Amino acid sequence: MNQPATVAVTGLTVRHRRTVALDALDLSLSPGVHGLLGPNGAGKTSLIRVLATVAAPSSGRVELLGGDVAGHRERTAIRRRLGYLPQEFGYYPGFTVREFVAYVAWLKEVPADRAAAAVERAVARVGLADRIDDRIKTLSGGMVRRAGIAQAIVNEPELLLLDEPTAGLDPEQRVDFRELLRELGTEATVVVSTHLVEDVAAACTDVALIEGGRLAFRGPTAELAALGGESAAPGDSTTNAIERGYTAALRTHRESAGAGAVRTKEALR
Amino acid sequence: MRLYLRSRGLPGALAALLGTAAAAAWAAWWLVSLPDFDHTARLPVVVLGPLLAAGVIGTSLHTPSDELDRTAVRAWWPRRLAHLLAPTALAVGLLALAVPGHAEEFGAPAAVRNTLGLVGMAASAAPLVGARLSWLPPTFYAGVVYLAAPSGTEGGAAWWAWVTRPGPEGEAWAVAAVAFAAGTALYAWRGSRRTTGEA
Repeated sequence: MNQPATVAVTGLTVRHRRTVALDALDLSLSPGVHGLLGPNGAGKTSLIRVLATVAAPSSGRVELLGGDVAGHRERTAIRRRLGYLPQEFGYYPGFTVREFVAYVAWLKEVPADRAAAAVERAVARVGLADRIDDRIKTLSGGMVRRAGIAQAIVNEPELLLLDEPTAGLDPEQRVDFRELLRELGTEATVVVSTHLVEDVAAACTDVALIEGGRLAFRGPTAELAALGGESAAPGDSTTNAIERGYTAALRTHRESAGAGAVRTKEALR
Repeated sequence: MRLYLRSRGLPGALAALLGTAAAAAWAAWWLVSLPDFDHTARLPVVVLGPLLAAGVIGTSLHTPSDELDRTAVRAWWPRRLAHLLAPTALAVGLLALAVPGHAEEFGAPAAVRNTLGLVGMAASAAPLVGARLSWLPPTFYAGVVYLAAPSGTEGGAAWWAWVTRPGPEGEAWAVAAVAFAAGTALYAWRGSRRTTGEA
């Protein structure tokens, strides 16, 4: 934790029309694999999209890799070193995996002489090397997801943002994927948004839990697990410590934020 | 770059533009060759040809990978501008060739003016209703005007019915030029409206 922060977010607020997706969020991240947990609609995707410089925040300051995203020149430099897997990414139906990844390499301005090799390496890392010249539309859902991960890592990003990367992957692929995550996390800052707590337990060093646009918990994965304590009643439907920690942290946050949240809503009217 | 062009379906769009121009040339020749008609009968060609071209160019502005495109390092507006201007220049050239002679009466100048104006409308529709539907406003407009326009210039027809004017009126040109400039600027600035999820 004594490395310099690669992501520093202060007072980040994102509004969609009249709803508040993120409410004055402060967060700083350094290299490693960070799990971003939270219920549906908590603001995970909004946060990832702001960090990917795809959406602009309503207010607040976002610094990535030492540059402020509000500055045009700094944003350009950041984007070159950024990898992003959207929850839903479109692709031109006629593209093969190779062409799709090469297209993104072109967007990210990977130098042309290195692009071909970078594409093959990225595709091999997600285990799609044998399908590289197949059209994306002929691939299964899990393979499309992996092609998406390949495009996100083609420029060897220093900041990698993955929104629900494990959706649609089978158990074996998920194990391989966590392996890849840990490998990437040794050098880069990796943010994985998910609601599958097992992924967090297995691959993330550190967790941020958001709920209602606010940070409900932030700390090492082991700490969240410790919050859950021992399995209580026999009727307990949670299966592991992280899950219990997740629920416990959410409940604590809701109780403490309950009064505040009501006030915010009143103020917005 | 090559991949970018393919991802926008530009080969198909170019083929469609060539086809449109060929069809317009043939239709113009055929209409004029009919015994009861002279070159003034080319009005439908001069409206429909540019309209088809505008539709082809407008729908080619669609991007399937909007979310990823937004992470591109370089700014999009120069590429958008090129994407709009290059096919428009091609369409203008081809359609001008498709209606030879009689520049005063539904000839090349009218075809050029209508191509610019209608492409401008399609380009301004793309940020508003999405590139896939950008052909609708120009089609609707051209259809209504084609049916409703008087043959003279009474009631300011040179302004609002510019697509049906025979050629040289300054008012009609002004409207078409404004539509093109505004459409180009709006599209270059905003890009197509997000239509992700519609696949």
